Amino acid sequence: MTDNSLDIRALHFSGIASRLRRLDASMLLWLALIAALAFLILNPVLRLIISSLQETDTGSFTLANYRTAYGNIRHLQSLLNSLELGVGVALLATCFAVPMAWAISRTDMPGKAFVRLMVFAAFVTPPYLGAIGWILLAGPNSGWLNKVWMALTGASHGIFNVYSMTGLILVISVTSFPYTFVFTSSALDLVSSEMEDAANILGARTLRTTLRITLPLVTPAIIGGIIISFLEAIALFGAPALIALPARFNVVSTQLWQFFEYPVRVEEAAAYSMPLLAITVLMFWIQRRILGRRGYTSVTGKGGERRMIALGPWRWVMLGYALLVCALSVFLPMLVLVQAAFAKAWGRGFSLDNLTLHNFYYLLFEQTQAKQTILNTFLYSAVTAFAAISLTLAIAYVVNRKLVPFSNVLAFLCMAPFVVPGIVLAIGFYAAYAPPPLALYGTATILILGFTTRFLPIAYTSSAAGLRSINPEMEEAVRILGGSRLLAIRKVLIPLLKKSLAGAWILVFIPATRELSSAIFLVGPNTRVISVMLFDLSEEGNFEVLAALGVILLVATVAIAGIGSKIIGRDFMLRRNS
Amino acid sequence: MSRLKLTGVSKRYGDFLAVDGIDLELQNGEFVSLLGPSGCGKTTTLRMIAGFVDPTLGTIEMDGKILSSPSGSVPPDRRQMSMIFQSYAIWPNMTVEQNVAFGLELRKISNAEVKRRVGEMLEVVHMSHLADRYPAELSGGQQQRVALARAIVIRPSVLLLDEPLSNLDATLREEMRFEIRRLHDEFQVTTVYVTHDQAEAMVTSDRIAVMNHGRIEQVDVPRALYNQPKTRFVAGFIGRTNFIEGVSDGHQVSFDGFALPRSAFERDVPAQGKAVFSVRPHSMRLSDVPPTAGNGGSAVGVVVLERAFLGEHWDYVVKPREGALTLRVTTSPMNDFPIGATAWLEFEPRQMALIV
Amino acid sequence: MFPIQRRDFIIGGSALLTLGAGRNALAQPAPSMTPHEKELFEAARKEGGELTWYTAQSDDITAQALGRSFEQLYPGIRVNVLRTTAQVAYQRVTQEIKASAIQCDVLSTTDIGHCVALKATGALEKYVPDNSGKVLDIYKNYDPDGYYFVNSAGMIGIGYNTSKVKEADAPKNWTDLLDPKWKDNIALGHPGFSGYVGTWTLTMRNQYGWDFFEKIAKNNPRIGRSINDTVTMLNAGECSIAGCGPVGTLLESVQKGNPLAMVYPTDGTVLIIAPSGIMKGCKHPAASRLFMEFLLSVGASQIWVDHFNETIRPEISPPKGAKSAKDLKTIRPTVEQITKGIPEVIKQWRETFGV
Repeated sequence: MTDNSLDIRALHFSGIASRLRRLDASMLLWLALIAALAFLILNPVLRLIISSLQETDTGSFTLANYRTAYGNIRHLQSLLNSLELGVGVALLATCFAVPMAWAISRTDMPGKAFVRLMVFAAFVTPPYLGAIGWILLAGPNSGWLNKVWMALTGASHGIFNVYSMTGLILVISVTSFPYTFVFTSSALDLVSSEMEDAANILGARTLRTTLRITLPLVTPAIIGGIIISFLEAIALFGAPALIALPARFNVVSTQLWQFFEYPVRVEEAAAYSMPLLAITVLMFWIQRRILGRRGYTSVTGKGGERRMIALGPWRWVMLGYALLVCALSVFLPMLVLVQAAFAKAWGRGFSLDNLTLHNFYYLLFEQTQAKQTILNTFLYSAVTAFAAISLTLAIAYVVNRKLVPFSNVLAFLCMAPFVVPGIVLAIGFYAAYAPPPLALYGTATILILGFTTRFLPIAYTSSAAGLRSINPEMEEAVRILGGSRLLAIRKVLIPLLKKSLAGAWILVFIPATRELSSAIFLVGPNTRVISVMLFDLSEEGNFEVLAALGVILLVATVAIAGIGSKIIGRDFMLRRNS
Repeated sequence: MSRLKLTGVSKRYGDFLAVDGIDLELQNGEFVSLLGPSGCGKTTTLRMIAGFVDPTLGTIEMDGKILSSPSGSVPPDRRQMSMIFQSYAIWPNMTVEQNVAFGLELRKISNAEVKRRVGEMLEVVHMSHLADRYPAELSGGQQQRVALARAIVIRPSVLLLDEPLSNLDATLREEMRFEIRRLHDEFQVTTVYVTHDQAEAMVTSDRIAVMNHGRIEQVDVPRALYNQPKTRFVAGFIGRTNFIEGVSDGHQVSFDGFALPRSAFERDVPAQGKAVFSVRPHSMRLSDVPPTAGNGGSAVGVVVLERAFLGEHWDYVVKPREGALTLRVTTSPMNDFPIGATAWLEFEPRQMALIV
Repeated sequence: MFPIQRRDFIIGGSALLTLGAGRNALAQPAPSMTPHEKELFEAARKEGGELTWYTAQSDDITAQALGRSFEQLYPGIRVNVLRTTAQVAYQRVTQEIKASAIQCDVLSTTDIGHCVALKATGALEKYVPDNSGKVLDIYKNYDPDGYYFVNSAGMIGIGYNTSKVKEADAPKNWTDLLDPKWKDNIALGHPGFSGYVGTWTLTMRNQYGWDFFEKIAKNNPRIGRSINDTVTMLNAGECSIAGCGPVGTLLESVQKGNPLAMVYPTDGTVLIIAPSGIMKGCKHPAASRLFMEFLLSVGASQIWVDHFNETIRPEISPPKGAKSAKDLKTIRPTVEQITKGIPEVIKQWRETFGV
């Protein structure tokens, strides 16, 4: 009896000890991840909120910042302008993206591969570069489109004015509609044709079925796209700086820039950015409310095949629409940018004596910063992508396998930066880490950290999606044969995830190369990136060199993405291999 | 005039002939199943009836009007038909009530009338209390009912069902078989039902068309299919059976290990030559009583090779003492013959179907 | 790793330059260095061979040319040229001071008020270059204490596009800009970005009162950021008049073949005095001193003149076809007026123009 009880007690203790050991390891892991996320997200945002309530130089509590920020009618007007911009972009981007996504995903429209490629080109183009292109196209007196109009009709001035709210909305929409496009077409790919057949046989023709059945089924994707377009638009800095200023209005991001003029008023900037945060949180709450109890996925697994709807002559109409969007977002701006890149003076037009390679030559050999800037950009973006994917993969693993309690907190923190507009995040980072003790001002570190935080949500979503598709039984098979968890991860999980991780890497890398809004506050003289340099070049109106630099950026990005896609075997847009 | 008529309907995909010359007529209110294994062309045929696919050859007519032909077809939305899909295709973003109302709303019926008819229909399928639920909140059987309600409420000329029960578990399947038949009876809808499950077809249908490799092998009422299968395939597909080959010499038919008098057969067995029979496992009796003179001609001595007890019956594999032929026999639970035992197998020649 | 790569490119680039590929192929071999310069040169090499220069005094091309010239004269010292508008440069510098992380070595600005303010807060290093006594008299002695020195000057007049405006119709004086016939056709910069524009705005206010701007607002001018934006807008054909046209950039543009012309207003051309200074606590003090010598040297002046800017050394004559400051009637605000006035006009500008 005694022997038994001793044995039992011994077993009991060793059980507790091993549980404690496991608890320690997992606790440590949880603490490490939380610490990383706190450093990246919580601290800057908290510093931002605290700064908004502090007085400059003394640090004492005050509401004066809010008074200065919002007591001025021009500042309030900027906020309203931002909202108008956001709504306009959200609607226009949706109008562009949804019909195209539907046509590609569910109909027999011809030229799908080409249109997809153009959407990718639009995705790769930074909004500020698109803005430059449109300035060259639609400047009220000098834009090419206006010149053509004036030549054709003999009018004394053009009809397009890019320097307007409408112009700004158009310019931003044509580079942000790819997000909505990708979400919507991915969701549409999953809708079984039987859903449409059911409506069909009850008497509904194609259009009615599409509007009442097909599109409502992908409402979450469309709403997701709307929200992202809205948030992108209100957080952008580059395009508004180029267009809104000459158009004589400010938006929140350009207004924030002014708070950083001498004397630097971080506290007022922080106070001024609070509404952006509030608006973002509001958007997500609204999304939750709209989607509510309804389900959106097909409730059974079977019968999920997808057939293309035959549109007859209408498929040419759809193609025409798709090509129109492609023209607005890619053909026209690219045409003028390339023309400017090879021109001595872009205003002189398409003549042989206006051709030159000097702009590229100047960039690559005479401008001492350009080479370094280009290398910086790709280096920092690559490091950012690696950092973001590594961190989020670890977190996604912990969350998905439920290794620690409250793992959902980690997931929430990963998605939280979504809520903070890039420019606000940069200010927060600046407030938290630029001055001593860390004194990261002007270093590559603060830039990479800022970018990593900015792209955590994309990285996490991709990592989590990839992990979800792997059955945990694969690792369990390794462990039951005697391998450790780490071994299982190394030998089984990572190889299985290779393609998915590579895709996620590109999804972070590309936006990182074109990021301006958060870079503008975090770069130092040695850490300039292409986006900031393009912005600086635009300040002195040197469009030829600017266009050349833009062309270099685009060509390099497309090349890298192209190579990556070949390696992955499917394009970055998460399209299933059909 | 028949309600629905298929004449010489074929469908070719490149080199592959999915449906090969189907002739079928349905009378008003009839319930006909297309029964066959995967790939036999039954779903393709159904989709041609619905109008989602155009036939390569042949015509489909309803009430004498041509709906489908190689030169053109009336589109699905104008055929006044209804369809239940394998996945039910209930729209998850609409409530039960909205799903069922969809077809009615398209027909320009007043809101009040729509509400009334939807309410009635939901009563019929016992789903009134769940009218405001979303499909994600329903069980498989309930979703099935919603699909039925949605399809029937518009009073379709023809109701088409594409393997609707394959997603349900066994008990639910049984329940829903009866439910489908009940609804058919209540509304007298002409119905075409596609399935690979012969039990389903037998329970629900007035007639069954057995299909194989794109052709109809036999169309008949269930009893006739079972008892008088015309082809080897039909015999083997509907229920289990034994195929035995015999040679007729005018007086008797000789099989491997035994013989049966030709006169005992009900069907016209050829005077000379080969005759293949389908013998159902339960159409023979196993007994330990040797045959008397009266039925002597139809009994054979056998030895038990294998057996399995299934609760409602015994499954035996027996072999006549001479010859290599094995036969499956089903008996009542009381007939207990151990393996290796000898017994007498009594044939019922009238239940032996001659396969052409 | 990267410095070596860039080094190769710079050497390669320089080699191509000497083949005459660029306009500014004045690859002067290092003239004899004074002993003082030699001393600074050795020290600069020892401290790392690098210099970070924030400049708002010219466009990027001129700034790069100056940087490269210095590198050729003093091999082994790399110059990081960062060209921005004056307010942006000042913003960056003050950010660095606040973060106690000085990145800038030498600041060259177009707003002398910045230097005044920086000196007042002790942010500048005192150093009197040998060359400071050798410049033209009008550019001497702006800071007797020796914290900052004028190394560049520029002029602002009225520019116009000759293919759209005939010489006879072009404005002759600043007040002609108020004529309604120029509605929707005037290009301006923004004092909130550009030091040149800030000084110009202040000068106009001194001459004509702020009313001048209320009236010009009625003509709906197109507002950019840098003063060079006005030339861009003329080139593009977006506007036909540059309300505050920088002489240097405009004449350089004419040289490239653009149809532009300069008007020196009758009430006076605005003269911009642009100083430079060394940041206190910078990372490369020796190189900074050597660079200050260079900025005030004959070589630097030659480069300025090559780009149609003013020369500050008597040895160099003004560019062909351009008028020099000493031959024109010029107007400009005093240093105190600049220090106090530019922040004021920025505010007033925002009220009047909305941005």
